[in-house]
Amino acid sequence: MKEIKLVFTGSMGAGKTTAISALSEIPVINTDVSATDEVIARKATTTVALDYGEMTLSDGQKLRLYGTPGQQRFAYMWKILMQGALGLIILVDNAGENPLGDLELYLNHFHEDIEKTTAVIGVTRMDLSKKPNLAAYNDFLRKRNLHLPVFSVDVRRKQNVIMMVQALVAMLEY
Amino acid sequence: MLSLEQQQLLNTKLKTLLEHSEEISAALVTTVDGHLCAMHQQRNYSLDRLATMGSSLMSLGDTITAELKMGNCRNLISENESGIVTFMHINNLLVLITITLQKNALGLLLAHSRKAAEEMAKLL
Repeated sequence: MKEIKLVFTGSMGAGKTTAISALSEIPVINTDVSATDEVIARKATTTVALDYGEMTLSDGQKLRLYGTPGQQRFAYMWKILMQGALGLIILVDNAGENPLGDLELYLNHFHEDIEKTTAVIGVTRMDLSKKPNLAAYNDFLRKRNLHLPVFSVDVRRKQNVIMMVQALVAMLEY
Repeated sequence: MLSLEQQQLLNTKLKTLLEHSEEISAALVTTVDGHLCAMHQQRNYSLDRLATMGSSLMSLGDTITAELKMGNCRNLISENESGIVTFMHINNLLVLITITLQKNALGLLLAHSRKAAEEMAKLL
């Protein structure tokens, strides 16, 4: 495998654009525009098409990193961006109103992709909200008969994001 | 984002656009983040979805234009087997999308849409 396409998805404000920016060796291509709805209370801009970045692993494998828009009305982009992807990183904002509900939404939408490839879960902003904790996420996944790794991550820290990506790549290889 | 009065002004403008240009079968205004603000159509398109998709496309157009350092993206054109769709900014928060089913009406569609976009920008 010389090149691997990975997709970052997850709830609005969970940190998809930030995660790709933390990893990318090239200037990130993004399609952020001014938010005009309730999003504006949390952030000034929102992604409406995709984010794109690239990184190279120590063994020379190139990763192509795509980020989806978070809001459900852009779900047609989720399908487009998953074409040819080998793995999915689902980011969940733990300080959101219903983090497990958000996770459920993305698991439901991407369940066919997860069956064909694999996924990891990154829980962000756990410093602002401790609950649900990682055990609750693992219970939630187990009840759905899913065995996916769950990480607490600060997507501003490159090493945190690399840890998730390496776990995903390792799952693809073995 | 827009007041009801502003939305009514846009709806009226779109209605006038379609009345004066029989070739145009639908026109809508969306925010840059994909919320339908105003529309008028002679067909039965799902314009909510088109508004959201149009915002994605316009953003990609802006991104490509910025990458190539070509200034502002004036418009995007989708020429298809059964018609043409154009996308253009009204201002930095709103996008006008127009549709014709006539394959040879690109110039007319662009000219009428551009004029309408400029007039709507002044209205707001």
